Amino acid sequence: MRLDLLKLYLGGTGYAARILWDGLERGIDPLSPENILIACTGPLTGTLTPCSGSVEFAFKSPLTGIFGQSRAGGSFGPKLKYAGYDFIIIEGASEKPVYLSIIDGSAEIRDASHLWGKTVHEATDILLEEIGDLNAAAACIGPGGEKLIKYASIMVDYDRAAGRCGGGTVMGSKKLKAIVVNGDHEIEIAKPDEFYEAAKEAISVVGRQRISLGQFGTVGGLRGLNESGALPTKNFQTCYYEKAEKMSGEELARRYLIKRRACAGCPIGCGRYVWVPSGPYITPPHEGAEYETTDMIGVQPMMESLEPLIKASYLCNTYGIDTISAGNVIAFAIEAYERGLITDEDAGGIKLSWGDADACLKLLELIIERKMIGDLLAEGVRRASEKIGRGAKDFACHVKGLEVPAHDTRGTTKSFAIQYAIGNPRGACHIEPIWVGVWDFSRSSLGLRELGLPWPPPSRFAETGVGRGEACRLLWLYGELASILGICRFSMQGGEDEILTPARLSRLVSALTGWELSSQDLIKISDRAYTLKRCFNVREGVGRKDDRLPRRLMEPLTTGPTKGQKVESLDAMLDETYEALGWDKKAGKPTRKKLRELGLEDTAEVIWGG
Amino acid sequence: MPRSLVTNPDKCTGCRICELACSYRHFKVFNPARSRIRVVRLPHGPVDSPIYCIQCGLCIGACPFSALSRDLRTGAVKVDFEKCTGCGMCIHVCPYGAASRDPESHKALICDLCDGDPECVKICPEGVLLYLDSDDAAEYKRIAFSRLQRKEITPLKPDAR
Repeated sequence: MRLDLLKLYLGGTGYAARILWDGLERGIDPLSPENILIACTGPLTGTLTPCSGSVEFAFKSPLTGIFGQSRAGGSFGPKLKYAGYDFIIIEGASEKPVYLSIIDGSAEIRDASHLWGKTVHEATDILLEEIGDLNAAAACIGPGGEKLIKYASIMVDYDRAAGRCGGGTVMGSKKLKAIVVNGDHEIEIAKPDEFYEAAKEAISVVGRQRISLGQFGTVGGLRGLNESGALPTKNFQTCYYEKAEKMSGEELARRYLIKRRACAGCPIGCGRYVWVPSGPYITPPHEGAEYETTDMIGVQPMMESLEPLIKASYLCNTYGIDTISAGNVIAFAIEAYERGLITDEDAGGIKLSWGDADACLKLLELIIERKMIGDLLAEGVRRASEKIGRGAKDFACHVKGLEVPAHDTRGTTKSFAIQYAIGNPRGACHIEPIWVGVWDFSRSSLGLRELGLPWPPPSRFAETGVGRGEACRLLWLYGELASILGICRFSMQGGEDEILTPARLSRLVSALTGWELSSQDLIKISDRAYTLKRCFNVREGVGRKDDRLPRRLMEPLTTGPTKGQKVESLDAMLDETYEALGWDKKAGKPTRKKLRELGLEDTAEVIWGG
Repeated sequence: MPRSLVTNPDKCTGCRICELACSYRHFKVFNPARSRIRVVRLPHGPVDSPIYCIQCGLCIGACPFSALSRDLRTGAVKVDFEKCTGCGMCIHVCPYGAASRDPESHKALICDLCDGDPECVKICPEGVLLYLDSDDAAEYKRIAFSRLQRKEITPLKPDAR
């Protein structure tokens, strides 16, 4: 890796953004051989830093046509490092199916004809046996990626998903079935003793989340969100679900949880090793039923039991498609069917209705097989709604083509209106760079007060004049560090005494690299990466005109504690945010001044003209 | 009385923090391949389990170079790195796969209980690893041994799509 770029970007998706900016021409087809797929780790990946089991993938997204990135846990990232590499950059495409094996510093491209068509679980089994190392890590696509379903995921260690933006689709287009890694290389540390002390403290601090996130998993928050009127339901018509209890993390733990599982280096262990042992929804034991999946595939279509949800989650994993996008298109399809925009014939005789879990599972199979209406829904909700027409756009919930996930612009916090509209370089995403709800919904300062986070936070429903833009900017730049440093965002959201605050990160990164990097330095590096990703999107034609919310996410909520909440002044909120970010309000581009501050003069020439 | 390393394997989440702490303690690097404790995760079953040296000493008598001995203070097997040739006999006789070869020096990696202060025990976030007086540890060993006779009631791969 280039030391000069490392000093500017440190690693992860920051460094990857630079590679994509330099390496991709504007307007290339994401599914052509010109696209580049990068698997990346950060400096902290694979070390004793808590939650450092990350791998991030970066590419131009076939779902959105803009910057795409997606993260998975498991052990792939660390094992890539132990194999002797920090990054894998995949260019071009193969004519026949192949997989890439990187073991102990030697890389080899091998035939994968026998794996093509296999599910993620089948292929992973075969791969690990074939290379003769059951301890290796495989990142693999399923039939979803092979069939170029636009939101195909890259699955790591069987069940950990880099789900969003269609990284699996890019792998499918390159006929790359899998990447397998392992090795016995080591990660050296500039100041071992200092690092070890910092890491030990960090493990005990982050480990406090065992009693919250660890006990009931990410879905443990479902009940509380519902009580706050923040649980997206019925394709975002409301944020309150009367039967939420039946879909809760407590119910999951009581009836379907076999054990907790952790990704590499994680002291929290939010992973749910679950199964449905018998009955029509039987599944093998697997890691599944995350919060996002449970809301998007379970609550949104109003299922009344966890069993079909667990089954659907398992199917998405092993066929390799994103559960968030899949859930979003399913709820969209139910609503379209209800309005007569999808006919019985389109749906192959499946009668879609709210709460009909079997119909949802059948529809999911149509998507997986790209049959009938499933073929259209496999293109994502934006393309599907454009094709269906007749007002379908009004309830197609996406931003820049990325399906809206399970937090709401009205019920959760108004920060999500900004997050979805502009906060995330990849479109409507709640977690990249970070779950912005930590500030005013969960009321944590994350150690950002000394960096200027407005405190105390205002009511979560207040729109303008409460520092929301500035708060979001800081939250994003802090959260961006997760994908740069190669750690999980769950180590960065919670109370100050249970997370990696900027101060703790600064201590860890400085001891690891031997470069003295303060919290401020880290935020600046983050700003550079974040801004560069925006520049990438601007080069693809994105501007303020695209920083919009779908109509549905502006409309008043219809029931529950947040009934009547709507987004009233999106434009004013956006103005505040552009200003905080140093972006031109009219064009929605980072200003020349801002780009100069960050040392990104070369991008200024492209996005503003020489 | 010597103390013994024992585990409560049901609590293990498979985070492998113990492996990193072990490689740091002995080599000041992070590298699971240089760890004396290894976590095994079975992909199609509910098993995450730390595999570690129970200090049985079977390797001591098997070593052709007399490089192994019992540390009478800690009760751990001690490797004399001057004498160890990396022949692999200890790895051969170890019933648990707890002895391995250091990929750097190519010599034996056998748990030395960190000289009576095992790092893995201190760092395990789940309290899986315990370092107890041998009397108390014996009960954990009996439980672990009895598990070998437990009938497997979890179907590993039901016939499900």
